[in-house]
Amino acid sequence: MAHEAPFQLLHSELIHYICKTADGADSENGRSVTKLENMGFRVGQGLIERLTKDTARFKDELDVMKFICKDFWTCVFKKQIDNLRTNHQGIYVLQDNKFLLLCHMSAGKQYLEHAPKYLAFTCGLVRGALSNMGVKSIVTAEVSVMPACGDLAALIQ
Amino acid sequence: MTVHNIYIFDRNGNCLFYNEWNRKKQAGISKEEEFKLMYGMLFSIRSFVSKMSPLDMKDGFLSFQTSKYRLHYLETPSGLKLVLNTDLSVNSARETLQHIYSNLYVELVVKNPACSLAPPLDSELFCSRLDAFVRSLAFFSPRAA
Repeated sequence: MAHEAPFQLLHSELIHYICKTADGADSENGRSVTKLENMGFRVGQGLIERLTKDTARFKDELDVMKFICKDFWTCVFKKQIDNLRTNHQGIYVLQDNKFLLLCHMSAGKQYLEHAPKYLAFTCGLVRGALSNMGVKSIVTAEVSVMPACGDLAALIQ
Repeated sequence: MTVHNIYIFDRNGNCLFYNEWNRKKQAGISKEEEFKLMYGMLFSIRSFVSKMSPLDMKDGFLSFQTSKYRLHYLETPSGLKLVLNTDLSVNSARETLQHIYSNLYVELVVKNPACSLAPPLDSELFCSRLDAFVRSLAFFSPRAA
């Protein structure tokens, strides 16, 4: 990806469009997040195919997660994941201290309630990438202080 | 050596942002009237300058000065107008205004999906970064002249 501005602007408009066409009760809000996540899933699947077409097979899940933290994240967000933690029993926590899609929004608590919408696409992206590598998973995200965000991936065997 | 205040207007004349640092004397009218006055003046001066210019005009109106302060002006191609009032020791604040536009406004307001481009701009990040930037300028000093 040459420049991150087109992706960022398109992503913001995508969220705005989905939430506008939803408008209604809270259940609709949940549905928009699901729609965004499913979009990210499909994009993640395709992207990981392109990125790994010349690399060797991965030894285990940890290698897959490291690939996601380094090459995949660099391709999409121009930086690597700052911190990867695991409990060796299927739970991995990826921490990004300056998440690209949030760092223009605020540097603290403002707009915190809008943050989940902006993370849904990325969660889907990670889930799609993992699924095409043969790893079934659930990915959730949490933000406590912008622009740092922690993605939590739980793997199901 | 000081910066007095800054106004940012959109292309319809609404004041999106205003901040002041060292303003000793207020205008004596309400803020809305002051913004309208400022915008009206800019509009009239721009058209005056373009009509009366003896040569082909390149940039148009750049700044004016009085015996106490100088007003710097930058208009972007998208119609955004930035106005900065400084004291007389500052000759040209054009690069400053350009930097405020491209590195602060575009990055933090235009690219911010939760921030609507209508008055008032409520992005705290933009306010704090702009404040920090102006305070760090070479010609800014907290003790006014």
